Amino acid sequence: MKRYLRLLRIFFRTELQYELEYRLNLVLEIVQGIVVTGTSVGAILVLFSYTTVLNGWDLGAMLVLLGCFYLVQGFGELVLQPSFEKFMEHVRLGTLDFALLKPVSAQFLVTLRNFQVVQLAQMGLGAIVVVVGLSRIPNIGFAEAVGFPIALVCGFALIYALLLALSTFAFWFVRVDNLMALYWSFMDAGRFPVDVYPGWLRVTLSSAVPIGIAVTVPAKVIAGRLDPLGLGFLILGTIAAFVLASWFWRLGLRSYTGASA
Amino acid sequence: MIRIYRALLVAQIQAASQYRVQSILWMLFAVIRPVIFLAAWVAVARSQGGQIGAYDVRDFAAYYICLSLVINLVTSWNAYEFEFEVRMGRFSPKLLRPLHPIHYSVVENVVWKLTTIIPLGIILVFLALTFDARFRTTPAHILLFVPSVVLAAALSFLSSWVLATLAFWTTRVHAITTLWDRAGFIFAGQIAPLALLPGPLQAISLALPFGYVLGVPAEILRGGVSVSTALVLMGGQVFWVVVFYVALQRVWSVGVRQYSAVGA
Repeated sequence: MKRYLRLLRIFFRTELQYELEYRLNLVLEIVQGIVVTGTSVGAILVLFSYTTVLNGWDLGAMLVLLGCFYLVQGFGELVLQPSFEKFMEHVRLGTLDFALLKPVSAQFLVTLRNFQVVQLAQMGLGAIVVVVGLSRIPNIGFAEAVGFPIALVCGFALIYALLLALSTFAFWFVRVDNLMALYWSFMDAGRFPVDVYPGWLRVTLSSAVPIGIAVTVPAKVIAGRLDPLGLGFLILGTIAAFVLASWFWRLGLRSYTGASA
Repeated sequence: MIRIYRALLVAQIQAASQYRVQSILWMLFAVIRPVIFLAAWVAVARSQGGQIGAYDVRDFAAYYICLSLVINLVTSWNAYEFEFEVRMGRFSPKLLRPLHPIHYSVVENVVWKLTTIIPLGIILVFLALTFDARFRTTPAHILLFVPSVVLAAALSFLSSWVLATLAFWTTRVHAITTLWDRAGFIFAGQIAPLALLPGPLQAISLALPFGYVLGVPAEILRGGVSVSTALVLMGGQVFWVVVFYVALQRVWSVGVRQYSAVGA
């Protein structure tokens, strides 16, 4: 475990050094993040200029939700998107061999290897939006304060499991960029609570593409609107998704032959 | 010119037919965001007893279905590809060809729209039924919609080329296009129908080109504006198309001279 954390730190540091080479780019990316987050907050404000409550979510809770959306999305773009893109390239080129031969878990080495460090800024902006939203919520109890990070980590893990399962198809079909595009197009739906959507979309966002859950549940927890039972289900579901996706990945790995073999 | 276009069209259709799945998936981008905001507005309307301004739930549904169609018909992705090609030095061979690169781009966009229109239509009909959309469209509105959406497509196409041309100077236009896209997110009628934007935002959206790209044709197709208002709005569209046409000619002629191929 300690070894893995040390590896993770090394990966992160090299990627940080790499990105610091392009400082102007870094600044531009941060400015873009501010614009994107600001306009999304603007959209929420426009909606709330006509109402005080949206499906039981008031403005404070809604801002928390938007912040969670950017936290989850930022996490996806921080490590998952760059790593999984690299992974699919490895499968295509046959260079996955090098990862498989190293004396650590191949799944770890492949899926948490690459970082877009600048996305930390996006996550930071998300955190700011969460804090602003929380300032409008009168009292936050101990249970909420503990449950929130747990639910958020579950959200991250759900997204991880989903992307891991999707990218595993690369072992059989090689080019699965399209499946990833499907994920990205659905991702946008996380900006509103999953309960506003019509039935078929709500079911999709809670099961096959669990973006709705990954964003909505943490926001619900901190706004004091989730019972312990719901949180328990989330934890169990996340563990199940993680185990299932990892199993699927190993299954796919067996079909990997290397490009030149 | 017609012969050239016919040849390009055939070549592009052949190329596009190899990527059918991809085009359907990309089309989801045109559907999902309108559905997201439709769902939000339906929730807002329900909390206010079903009516916001001149819109009830079924009007919102009609508006966002029209918007989705307009997004698909109007949007062009040039700026992203253009930056990439300039940065990779792939743009140079295109400049050497006897035909202006913009023509390839026109044909690419037309083919993209042709290949996605049928699956999109099916999805939109399904949405119209689930959300029980009510269209106020009259035959006059449909007659006006056709030129309006063509103008909007021209406006979006020309403005994205003007932005893309900035890549000649900076080779990184991504930041600028993000800024432009986000302005469109707020002002073009995506987060709310133009009529529901708060006063100052609405004024900005109609004073700048943004509202004319998506919101205006969508509202005309839905039948949400009277014929005389529609004509005034289309006047605005013509104005901005002319502005961007002139701007593109200026920027292009200066920019091409400025361009030094990356990797050369």
